[in-house]
Amino acid sequence: MAETETETETKSVNSRMRQRPIVRLGFLLISQSVIVSVICCTAGVLALLLLPVLAKNTYISENALMPGSASSMLSHQEILEANKLVRDIASLSSKPSGAAVESRGLIAQYMSDLGAEVNYHKFHLRSNQFHPLHFFSGPGSEAIQDNFSCSLYGVNTVGIVRAPHGDGKEAIVLVTPYDSVRGGVGEALSLGIAYSVFSLLTRVTWLAKDIIWLVADSQYGEYAPVTAWLRDYHTPVFGDLGSLNTEMCDENENIFKLKENSIPERNISYTFRRAGTMAAALVLKVAYRNEHFEDTLSIYAEASNGQMPNLDLINIVNYLGVHRQGLHVKVEKLWSLLESKWLRILGEILESLGKLAKSLNPDWKFGISAPDYVEGTATLASSLYYQALGVPTGPHGAFRDYQVDAITLEISPKYSFNNKDRRNDFLLQGGRLIEGVIRSVNNLLEKFHQSFFLYLLTSPGKFVSVGVYMIAFALLVAPLPLVAASLYAESNDLNPALRKDKKPINSDDLGGLLKSWKWLNSAKRVFVVHLWGAIVSLLPYFISHICDCTPTTNFLIWISLSVLILLILHQILGSSYSHVCEIQSQEGEWALLKSVTISSVFIGLSLMSVINFATAEIGALLIVPTSLLAYPLKLDIKTRSLRSFSRMICNLILGVISFPPATFFLLKGVLDGFEGINAGDFWNWVESLWAWNSATYLYIGMVHLPCWVLCVHILLHSC
Amino acid sequence: MYSWFGSKNSAMVMGMVLLLLLCSYNAYSVSAETTMHTNNWAVLVCTSRFWFNYRHMANTLSLYRTVKRLGIPDERIILMLADDMACNARNKYPAQVFNNENHRLNLYGDNVEVDYRGYEVTVENFLRVLTGRHQTAVPRSKRLLSDEGSHILLYMTGHGGDEFLKFQDSEELQSHDLADAVKQMKEKRRFKELLIMVDTCQAATLFSQVGVSVVDRFTYYTLAFFEKLNMYDNASLSSLFTSYNPNLLMSNAYYRTDLYQRYLEEAPVTTFFGSVMETIHTDSAYRILSRRNSQKVKMPLQQSVDQGERRPLTNSEVQDQTSDTTKECSSELNVPLHGFFWV
Repeated sequence: MAETETETETKSVNSRMRQRPIVRLGFLLISQSVIVSVICCTAGVLALLLLPVLAKNTYISENALMPGSASSMLSHQEILEANKLVRDIASLSSKPSGAAVESRGLIAQYMSDLGAEVNYHKFHLRSNQFHPLHFFSGPGSEAIQDNFSCSLYGVNTVGIVRAPHGDGKEAIVLVTPYDSVRGGVGEALSLGIAYSVFSLLTRVTWLAKDIIWLVADSQYGEYAPVTAWLRDYHTPVFGDLGSLNTEMCDENENIFKLKENSIPERNISYTFRRAGTMAAALVLKVAYRNEHFEDTLSIYAEASNGQMPNLDLINIVNYLGVHRQGLHVKVEKLWSLLESKWLRILGEILESLGKLAKSLNPDWKFGISAPDYVEGTATLASSLYYQALGVPTGPHGAFRDYQVDAITLEISPKYSFNNKDRRNDFLLQGGRLIEGVIRSVNNLLEKFHQSFFLYLLTSPGKFVSVGVYMIAFALLVAPLPLVAASLYAESNDLNPALRKDKKPINSDDLGGLLKSWKWLNSAKRVFVVHLWGAIVSLLPYFISHICDCTPTTNFLIWISLSVLILLILHQILGSSYSHVCEIQSQEGEWALLKSVTISSVFIGLSLMSVINFATAEIGALLIVPTSLLAYPLKLDIKTRSLRSFSRMICNLILGVISFPPATFFLLKGVLDGFEGINAGDFWNWVESLWAWNSATYLYIGMVHLPCWVLCVHILLHSC
Repeated sequence: MYSWFGSKNSAMVMGMVLLLLLCSYNAYSVSAETTMHTNNWAVLVCTSRFWFNYRHMANTLSLYRTVKRLGIPDERIILMLADDMACNARNKYPAQVFNNENHRLNLYGDNVEVDYRGYEVTVENFLRVLTGRHQTAVPRSKRLLSDEGSHILLYMTGHGGDEFLKFQDSEELQSHDLADAVKQMKEKRRFKELLIMVDTCQAATLFSQVGVSVVDRFTYYTLAFFEKLNMYDNASLSSLFTSYNPNLLMSNAYYRTDLYQRYLEEAPVTTFFGSVMETIHTDSAYRILSRRNSQKVKMPLQQSVDQGERRPLTNSEVQDQTSDTTKECSSELNVPLHGFFWV
C-alpha cells in the first residue's frame, strides 16, 4: 500500500514541481505513515520510560518563600501544653458516652484559652450523587437545592488567629481531621502538633496572614467536613437563605445550647467566622505505620482531575522535612512495580548506557542508578495513576476546587505512640515542620505562581515538568492524523489510473461526487457510536436511581442495556443511509471508517490532554495502538501470511485489553492479585469516578469506549 | 580619563559582585587642582522592595548610618528607599531594621529621612537626581545640589544582572544610562570626585531570627569596618578595600580606579563616606593666605594642593585666633566658621 502511495505521490510531486518544502514533507510523512507511526509509537513509549532519567531536581522557585531562613521558635513550653491536650483527649475518648461533644468543647476551650477566635461549624452530610447536569459545574453550585439528611451531621471546630500587623486579607489553613468517636492516638497527636504551632502563632509578631485551624469532624470521612466548611466559607449567605438550611434541621440545635451553658467563654461563637483568601492549606495527619527506618513524612498532593498544587509548596515541605527536621520524605509509589524484573533490567541497561556516555564525555550526566530508576518509575507510575484517576488522595483535594494550593502531610514516627519519651520529640519535630512551612508561606506576597502546576513527581525531590512529559504523549498521538490522512487518500484512489485519466470528466459526475463524499457515511457512523457512548455514560445515573441492587447486578444491567441500545441505534440510524453507497464502495469502506475513527481518537485524546493529561497519556497508550492496528480480520485470514497472522493476534489482544472493564480487571489483577476480583468492582470503581466528578469517567464513556467499539467494528468488518 | 563611560562598561553590575568606581573630575579649563573640595554628598539607592529583599534596605540603611555618623548631614543625603520593611507585618521587630543577628544595631533607629520613598524609587527619578533635571515643583531636599567641588558617594543596592540593575520589579537601569548620567554630571560640573559603589550580591547573605536575610555580606563588613571608625580616623580607601576578605564575603569585591588620580592609600575613606574638610588656620580674618603656610589638621594627604595659588575663601567671616585647631567642620558652607577655611 505504502509503495503505491509513494509512486502516486512522486508522480504528483513531479507534476507540481513548485511545491513548498513543508507540503512535500507532509506528503512524504503521509505516504510513509506506516513507518512513521511505528517509529513514533515506539519513541512515545520509550520517552515515557525515560522520564525518570529526565527528571530534574526540584528547586524553590519563588524568592519570597525563604524556607528555613528563620530559626524555629517552637519551644518545649508549647510542647508541654500540647502534650496536656493530647492526654486530655485520650482520657476523654476512653469514656464512652458524650465523648464527641466533650472533646469538641475541650478543643474549643483550648483554642479560646490561647486568645483565638473560635467557632463551631455544623454541616450536614451530602451523599455524593452523580448529577449529569452538574458535572463540570463548580463545587458550590448545588449547595442550595441539594437534599441532605438531618440525622447525619458533623461539627467542625474552627480557630482563627488574626495577624497582629496584617491586613486580614489572606489566611493560611491548617486542617486536622479528627473523629471524636473513633479517633485514635494518631489523631490526638495530630491535634497536639497543630495545637503547639497554633499556640506559638498566637504570640508571634511576624504573622502577615491569618491562621485558621480547622478541626474537621471526620466521622463521615475526612473529605466531607472540609468540603462543607470550604463551601460555607466561600458562599456567604445573606438574609433568609442562611436560616433556610438550619431551620430544616433545627432539632439538633439543642446540642449547641447545651454546650453554650457549659462553656463560659467569650471567644467561642456559633456564627461562621472567616479570614481572608487562603494562600495555602496543610492537612496534617499522624499515622503509625510500623516502619523501622526513621520518622517518615508522606506527601499527598493529587486533587480532583489530576490537578496538583504548586510545586513550590511541595518543595518547601520537602526542604524543611529533609534539611531541618531530618524526616524521611516520600510520596506514593506503586509498590508492585518495585519488584518487577523487567523494570530492573531496563534500569540496569539505562545505568550502563549512562556510564558509557560518561566515559565518552564526562560532561554527560544523565545516567541514574538502577534502583533509583526503578524507584523513580514506581513513583512516576503512581503519580500518573492518581492524576489519571481524577480522585483526590486526601482532604486537600477540596481546597483545589477553590484554587487553593493544599497538600496532606502524614507523619509517621519510628517508635510507637506508647513510647512517652519519644512523644515530646515527635511533637516538637512535627510542630517545627509545620511552623516552618507556615512561616515560609507567610512570607509569600502573591499567590503561589512561580513554580509548576503541571508536573509528575518521580521522588519528593525530583519532578518531570509539562514540557518534558508532553513529548511522550505528542509522539504517541502524532501518527494519528498522518494515518488518517493516508487512509483517506488511499481509499479515494483505489484505482489511481482511473482517477488520473478521468478526473476532469468525473468531477461533475454524480458517482464521483458521491465517492468523494462517502467519508460522510463513515463520519455518521462514528458520530452515532459516540452518541451511544454519551448515552452509556448517562446510564449509571438511571440504574442507580431505579434499583437498589448489588454492584454486580448493576454492572450486568449496565452492560446489557448498553448492548441493547447499540443494537437499536444500529438498526435505526446505522442502516438507513449506508445502503445507498453500499454498492459503490464496499471494499474501501473499512479504511474510511478507520480513518474517521482515528481522527476522532486524535480529537478526543487532544481534548483530554488539556483536561487531564495523565488520563490522556494512559488512554493513548491503550487506544492508539488499537486504532492504528485495526484491520479487518476477514482480510487477514484471507491473506494467510505471517505478517497478517501476527497482526491478527495483536489486534485480538489489543481489542481485549483496551475494553475498559477488561483493562480495569487486568490492572487490578496485576497490582493486587487476581484472587479477590469481583465483577461488581468495576461498577464500584466507576461509581467512585462519577461521585468525584472525575473527567476520566467522561473520557472512558465518550472517547475510549466508542473508539473501542469502532475498532472492534473494523475488526469484524464484512468486506 | 573618563573614557570608560563612553565605552561599554560591562562590569557595572553583576550578580555577587561589588563594584567600586572611583572617578575624579578634571575640568578642561580649570584643572582639578584648582577646584576646592567644598562639600560631600551621598546618594543612597535601594532598588528593591518586598519583604524578601529586607537585606537591601538594611544595606542602604547601613550606609546611611555610616555617612551620617561620619558627618554628612541629612540634607546632603539623597536616600531612595522603598521603605516597606520596618512596618512590614512580617517584621518580627516592628519599626526596627537590623543588620545582624544580635539585634544590637537598629539601623532604623533615629531620624531616617527618606527622600524618595516607595514607588518614587524609579529609574527616572534616579537619573533626574543625578543630572539635576528636576521639575520646578521638586523641593530642594529631593535634589542633588552639588557643585564642582563636591565629593559624591553613589551607593546602589538591589538585584542586578549583566549591565543592568533592577528597579523594583518593573524597570531596570542599564549601565549606559548610568554612564550617560555621570557624563552629564561631569559636563555640568556637578562633582569633583565620585565614588560609585554597587552591591548586587544575592548569594552570600547572612541569616537571622528575623526570618529573612538581613544584610548582604559586603555591606555588612563595610558597616563593620566603618563602625570601628570615627571622623578623626585616617583610614584610607585602600584599607577599606583590603578589608574585604573574599572568604568572608563569599564573593569578590572588585574596584577600578583607573579614573581616579589619587592613590587609594592616600585617600581617606572620609573623602566619600563622610564630610571632613581640610581646615586652615588663619592668623586673621579677611586675609588671603598662602596654602604653604596652612596648617593641615585632618588630611595630610590632600590631593589638590595647589601650592602657589591663592584663592578667595569667602566662607570665613570671623577671625578667631584662639580656636582649637582640631575642630571638626562638618556643617554646611554658609555657616560661619571661626578661623578656619574650607579647602
